[in-house]
Amino acid sequence: MECYSEQIVSIFVDGELPVEEAQRLRDHLATCRRCRQLLDALRAENRVLGESLQELPEEAASPAGFSRLPRSVAWGDLAVVAAVLALGSIVVPWINELSIPEALQWLSPFSLSGRSNLIFNLSYYFAHGGAAMLGDYAAAVGKIFLLLLLGGSALLLGRRWRLRQPGLRLLIVLLALSLPGFALEQRHREVVTVAANETVDDTLLATGDIVRVEGVVNGDLLAFGESVEVRGTVKGDLVSFAKRTVVSGTVEGNIYNFSNSLDLDGQLGHSIYGLMQSLSVNDRGRVGQGIVVAAGDVSLEGAVNRSVTMFAGNTDVSGRIGRELTMTGDSLTLTNTARIGGSLSAHVDELKNVHIADGATITGARDIQVRVRQSRFARPRFYFYQAVWLAAAMLVGWLGLLLFPGFFQASTHAVGSGWRSLGLGFAVLAGVPVAIFVTAITLVGLPASLMLLAMYLAAIYLAKVWVGAFLGQMLLKPAGATKGDWLLGLLVGLLVLTIVGFIPYLGGLVHLGVVCLGLGAFVWQLYRVSRPAITT
Amino acid sequence: MDAKRSNAKGLQPREGKATQMEGPDLESVIARAQGHDAEALGEIYRLYAPRVFGLCRYMLDSRESAEDVTSEVFLKLQRSIESYDGSIPFPRWLLRVAGNQCIDALRRRKRGRQVIVEGEEEVAVMEAASPEPSPLGAVLSAEERAQVRDAIARLPENYRVPLVLRYYSELSYDEIAQQLGLQRNYVAALIFRAKQELRRKLGHRSK
Repeated sequence: MECYSEQIVSIFVDGELPVEEAQRLRDHLATCRRCRQLLDALRAENRVLGESLQELPEEAASPAGFSRLPRSVAWGDLAVVAAVLALGSIVVPWINELSIPEALQWLSPFSLSGRSNLIFNLSYYFAHGGAAMLGDYAAAVGKIFLLLLLGGSALLLGRRWRLRQPGLRLLIVLLALSLPGFALEQRHREVVTVAANETVDDTLLATGDIVRVEGVVNGDLLAFGESVEVRGTVKGDLVSFAKRTVVSGTVEGNIYNFSNSLDLDGQLGHSIYGLMQSLSVNDRGRVGQGIVVAAGDVSLEGAVNRSVTMFAGNTDVSGRIGRELTMTGDSLTLTNTARIGGSLSAHVDELKNVHIADGATITGARDIQVRVRQSRFARPRFYFYQAVWLAAAMLVGWLGLLLFPGFFQASTHAVGSGWRSLGLGFAVLAGVPVAIFVTAITLVGLPASLMLLAMYLAAIYLAKVWVGAFLGQMLLKPAGATKGDWLLGLLVGLLVLTIVGFIPYLGGLVHLGVVCLGLGAFVWQLYRVSRPAITT
Repeated sequence: MDAKRSNAKGLQPREGKATQMEGPDLESVIARAQGHDAEALGEIYRLYAPRVFGLCRYMLDSRESAEDVTSEVFLKLQRSIESYDGSIPFPRWLLRVAGNQCIDALRRRKRGRQVIVEGEEEVAVMEAASPEPSPLGAVLSAEERAQVRDAIARLPENYRVPLVLRYYSELSYDEIAQQLGLQRNYVAALIFRAKQELRRKLGHRSK
């Protein structure tokens, strides 16, 4: 008699063969050694399957123990912290010394023709990779703190206290990040005034239509308003988000400014950093150190003790600059009274846009270059930055996977829900800044809004990681779901995203889409994690 | 109580083992749970959550989803336990419910389409009996068992789901067919193919 197929025998072993057929097979087995061997092998196989499955998957031992870290964490912890510190120590000086202009280049919409106002430029930039700009800004400014604090503290927190929920851990880390917010004095009125005879000893957070300081603020001044005026003294830094910022008094620290216009009439101890439509340092204005800005129009009539670096549409210099003037932009005018203590280096589109009066003094070299629109792909530096960016993103992905494995993988997965993520992400991208602002000016208070901001920036950065990982997984279709596969997918996905990002126009759109998708997935995942767990 | 202690160590015995809560004890707990006794429901959770989670983890591809579905199963248990009539052992019933929940989750991800579509892929059947003994036939060490689990986790969904339902939940072909909305023969073929695929994967590994 002919032997039975392996499948039939297998069904028989499972006890699923109809009675009559099973009986026939039994009869056959009595006479056929080969089929008996097969039967034994298949029985053994079933036993193996049963035994193997009987042991639960590793994580199942504690279904509520969401926070278990992989083994050998002690050395892993040290290695991670060391790597993060090493990276931090490399990146910090690099950012301080070299790359502020480079980082701000992302923020410079001004080399292009349209610059009617800041909002216009911003929206223009949004369409051309603005989301990426936010991401890069977050990366440049927040990376070190984020990596050091998020990585180090979350690792340690997660390890020592075994907090139950990844979401909770994230919140704690963000809370830690925003702790300085508690030390603030807050004021919110239509007109916030620090009167001439008044002294604020703390850092002052002021929000209002008009924020006016006539007295003394001993800490920093964080001001949000239509108009911010410093007539008195701010001993710390001035951070201002306003339509118009006027400093006619003294700021002893730095000015970080995101305003439509910044006018400096008074004394500044350190430097100006920022993004603005117009910057003017009037003839009474003194800048103790330097200026690094991206601005539409810059007018320097006063004195800057050190160097000036800017991306500006139009630059007029009639005052004194202690050291170098470096500018990239459309036009540069140096009047007869201009004094530059170092060298002048300008990158402009056309030589006829540079006017240097005969009376102007330039101590160092003059280096005026017409920007040949050299493809950035031709510069080795470009590849270096891309590699650094990629490495950082991989590191962040790896850290995330180590700290919040389930969360990261699930977020990656959630990207796959397509329109839901995209829509949700877009709403979050557009809505959160509003929410941050509203939270900051209402009584709910600043810590919450700072937390939200930290989370927002982190999420924008992480969006690429999740979308990258998802894309990679789609492309590679790895058989398993191990961490190695995830990371490999991430690398491939990020490479693809990076390359696609360079396609003109489409690239910006893709960036925006990526950020929306990733944000959406993140928010969805947060929602899922925050749903009540079962209690027993 | 034995069952409790073994749980504290994170080890969940399979049903039918000596440490499992049995007979009248379990019955009374279930009866109390059916009367919405929160403590009894908690007891059931402590007893069976790892087992249910294990099933979800094998059925679904991420830990997160497995945790979600496990939560869902026990949340819904408050109501669904009323429909348990004692005609089959409780763990088996619970795993069937959980299996259904997993399939729902998989279906949701596919926007309501069937998890496994019959005939979507040709299910090849080996016609002649294979003289080779199965490479899975040997007695396995713990590490090898882990390899088997890993290989199962890496099986494509259409093989993994029926295989897990069969050998983890110990459902019959008919029950699996009913849960997945497939023909019984097709389920048999899928399980067979799943095992072949598993052998192939493990064969690769050992070389």
